[in-house]
Amino acid sequence: MTALLTIEGLRKQRPDEPDRSLFSDMTAEIAAGDRVALLGGSGQGKSTLLRIIALLEAADGGRLLLGGKEPRAYAEPKEWRRQACYVAQQPVMLPGSVEDNLRAASGLHGTPFDEALARRLMDAVGLADIGWRRAAADLSGGEKQRTALVRALLLKPRLLLLDEVTASLDPGSKDAVEALLDTWSAREGAACLWVTHDLDQAERQCRTVWFMAEGRLLEVAEADVFFRGPATEQGRRFVRPDAEGRTAGRAEAAADKKPAASLGAGSEGGARA
Amino acid sequence: MSNWALAATLVFVLVTMLLSIKRKLGLEKEIAVGTVRAALQLFLIGYVLHFVFDTRNPALIVVIIAGMITVAAFNAGKRADRIPGIRLRIGATLLVTESLTMGLLLSLRIIEATPQYIIPVSGIIIGSSMIVAGLFLSAMTRELEAARGEIEALLSLGATTRQALRHSARRAVRSSMIPTFDGMKTVGLVQLPGMMTGMIVAGAEPIEAVRYQILIMFVLSASAAITAILLGTVSARLWFTAEGMLRRTGKQA
Repeated sequence: MTALLTIEGLRKQRPDEPDRSLFSDMTAEIAAGDRVALLGGSGQGKSTLLRIIALLEAADGGRLLLGGKEPRAYAEPKEWRRQACYVAQQPVMLPGSVEDNLRAASGLHGTPFDEALARRLMDAVGLADIGWRRAAADLSGGEKQRTALVRALLLKPRLLLLDEVTASLDPGSKDAVEALLDTWSAREGAACLWVTHDLDQAERQCRTVWFMAEGRLLEVAEADVFFRGPATEQGRRFVRPDAEGRTAGRAEAAADKKPAASLGAGSEGGARA
Repeated sequence: MSNWALAATLVFVLVTMLLSIKRKLGLEKEIAVGTVRAALQLFLIGYVLHFVFDTRNPALIVVIIAGMITVAAFNAGKRADRIPGIRLRIGATLLVTESLTMGLLLSLRIIEATPQYIIPVSGIIIGSSMIVAGLFLSAMTRELEAARGEIEALLSLGATTRQALRHSARRAVRSSMIPTFDGMKTVGLVQLPGMMTGMIVAGAEPIEAVRYQILIMFVLSASAAITAILLGTVSARLWFTAEGMLRRTGKQA
């Protein structure tokens, strides 16, 4: 069976130090409907990898295939992006109202707007009471993030590239988003590549883990195998419980939630051998 | 104007130079080069026009206008020199703007089809369009950094490059046209335009000078609109790489 997404020997240089790689030798596959957590400390290039897959940024080497075809085999980049949709960590609302944002995908592609589906999705993420005529720019950060996610789902991509999409959500909204993505993935067969610093979320939501460290994809494993016992020392340091019973990665996720908190030295620096 | 009067105008250069020295602005070299270049370029074009007016050869008019467009395209292109192919698009835009406006002026017999009219009016149209093109490119460069998130959100939703750029291009077109229309609102109240002043100094009736100035202002409003919209259209693809990724136009790490 052809993988939905194939990554072969992908390499990206650091923009500030072109002779050093941000990551290299990255090789992996995502099957249709798979849910992959992309884990690793800060600065490993996880967001950059998502942006490269979304064709928003160029790689410096290696190959990407979506549905067995390279980007240049698609008539236009938009055909690729319609299938592999990136949802940014910092949600950007398009000019206009909430409804304008929800109608964006159908407007761009000249397809009918499925209002009933949009209402169900908004309801599912806890935004049933948001006025659709409201200026999208006036929404709160969490409301923008959920609206941006619904806007992306209405495109019905085959691969969702989710960049910490629950980072600014309260626990209730986060649960609602996770539940929706669960249902959506099962119903639409959409695959997810999900960058998250929340290891509990990764364990709950994803079947597979890609673990990035030292500029490489160090581990590709089933989520329960990875969380039971990572194969590499770096992986073990990343998930090993500390004295408070939390993992280094989990400690980082907790630090992420405090707006003014510094990430410090990242997960690996904060972990103990 | 006598040679003495012309030479005496150097006193203004001297004043500028002294101010620069006294205030340590460090602009003396710029002032000297600017003064010499302005005088030489103007005398040169004066002699060229003298020759063209005498020979009345249409081919020479075409050559002069082509020269104006080339220089204007290179100059305006400095505002976006990281964008490959932008100068060619500016040149093509200026050519269309000049052809349309001059074509209308001549076919409606608003001005006479003589070098005395065609060349100065073309100079005003191309010069003003060059400024509009430069403003458009500066605005687009700012837009591409400020609205990067918006453009990439649209691309992520499967927008074409043209669709993704639509809002930014519209804002840039608007901001490049506004100075022209602001100028129209205050002309005569704040400033007396150069062409009108020149005609009055040369002995024309003020009302006759005003008629020509009105003609110029209206032509310039049309040329600003044509230049900004056309450049927005023909440059749309250039803001993206061959792979369809949004270019970085500003200074970046």
